[in-house]
Amino acid sequence: MTAIVEIENVTRKYRGTTALDDVTTTLHKDSITGLLGRNGVGKSTLMRIITGQEFVTSGRVLVDGKPPLEHDAVLRRMIFVKESQIYPDIKVKRALEAASWFYPNWDHELAAQLMDDFALPANRPFKKLSRGMHSAVGIIIGLAARAEITLFDEPYLGLDAVARQIFYDRLLADYAEHPRTVLLSTHLIDEVANLLEHVIVIDHGRVVVDAPADELRGRALTVSGRTAAVDEFVVNRRVLNRQGIGGLSTATIAGPLDDLGSARARDLGLELGPVSLQEFVVRTAGTADETRERISA
Amino acid sequence: MTTMVKVARLHLVDRFSYTWLVWGVFAFTFLVNYILFAAIGPFQEDGSYTGALLCIYIFMVVIGIQAATKFLPFAFTLGVSRRTYFLGTVALVVGLCAIYAAVMTVLWWVEALTDGWGINMHFFRVPWILDGPWYQVLATNFVLLSLIFLTGLLFGLIYRRFGMVGMVLFSGALVVLALAAVLLVTWRQWWAQLGAYLVDLNILSATGILAIVAAVTALGGYVTIRRITV
Repeated sequence: MTAIVEIENVTRKYRGTTALDDVTTTLHKDSITGLLGRNGVGKSTLMRIITGQEFVTSGRVLVDGKPPLEHDAVLRRMIFVKESQIYPDIKVKRALEAASWFYPNWDHELAAQLMDDFALPANRPFKKLSRGMHSAVGIIIGLAARAEITLFDEPYLGLDAVARQIFYDRLLADYAEHPRTVLLSTHLIDEVANLLEHVIVIDHGRVVVDAPADELRGRALTVSGRTAAVDEFVVNRRVLNRQGIGGLSTATIAGPLDDLGSARARDLGLELGPVSLQEFVVRTAGTADETRERISA
Repeated sequence: MTTMVKVARLHLVDRFSYTWLVWGVFAFTFLVNYILFAAIGPFQEDGSYTGALLCIYIFMVVIGIQAATKFLPFAFTLGVSRRTYFLGTVALVVGLCAIYAAVMTVLWWVEALTDGWGINMHFFRVPWILDGPWYQVLATNFVLLSLIFLTGLLFGLIYRRFGMVGMVLFSGALVVLALAAVLLVTWRQWWAQLGAYLVDLNILSATGILAIVAAVTALGGYVTIRRITV
């Protein structure tokens, strides 16, 4: 896979706080990457740096080998729709019209279809849109632009489950026909888990997971059964989480598990289970500092 | 089409505010003034001064602020650099200022020709400022409109970059600067000379000074936008 966005040792400090701490990662050409993590861990800052809207304190970002900051030739290949995107006080159709001028591959048909899907009133000014409609406009612009590098920063605020599913379906369908590099930051990890080819998890400004989504499925698993058996099994294994009721326990452990491990679990009468991407992220990015270890591909 | 032209087009996407809104408000203000003065006659011997020209200046301030606060984040989303956005926006609005100034100058000329629209009303003819040969009126109209727009843009950008606190500090700094100038003039006892200079100052040199102020304001806007994040 070819790297299209290279992020090298990027640190961003604001007065007293470090938003990004020595972040190094890569976005692969024509892939969908999920940028996951809790609120305020630096996801948006990273996306703003990639699109040249924010400055780095140190390190560098290269988009197709060139720094994006103030570089029109690079910037025009990207579109970045934010959670609370600000629009001028104009009508929805005017905003779409204007956006279409900036992208040579803009698909008017797709835009019209998405307007229908989201039941957006074309003649309504932004001031009178509901929260969800506001978000829908951003999604339409982001998808119809067909920009080589498309960034969505939690674009679904106020959208109901049906509308979000429309977004995922359309994104996947259009991506299949017109491959491009997509970076999607989101909280709703389980919803997008099947969409993602690559996952980057950020915690406290650092990259804690950076791996293909397939690989992550084996990264953690649960063992459950009698507490004594679980205790015995997890010796010398890395435990990400532990829960118990009465004499029964469930432990989330770091994977992968080899054949010997599986056999041992069977012998102990333990049940092995998969861990969803959401749970994996919660276990790796949501834990206290002392139990958190850096995992990187 | 270069990105700069697209930025200019982006501002015009809402044709309403640059055409019907501004000139509609302008025409309405004119009509109200006309009917008022036609009905009750001049308050002063030498005619009626409306001061209604102010409404177009308020409009230019609003355009400047909106360019910094509303259009800029949208342009960023569409992959426009700060430099290109600034140059495209300033080129467009300064161009519009030239057109508006031309229209205002033609109306100024008609107003003089018709002796104040038949009722000795001074709408476009502002004493001292918009007085004299046509090219001078045109230049003054143009420089004033551009200066007001650029000031609105600068304040909008400062607001976006530094927030309300930054804008208050910036305004405060300007006041302090003005105060320092007044104190300096008082301390050096320059008031007499300054008064004499101002009396001698013709409107063309005043326009020149305002043009320099406008250029400095534009430069300030450029320096600010290069540091802006949204």
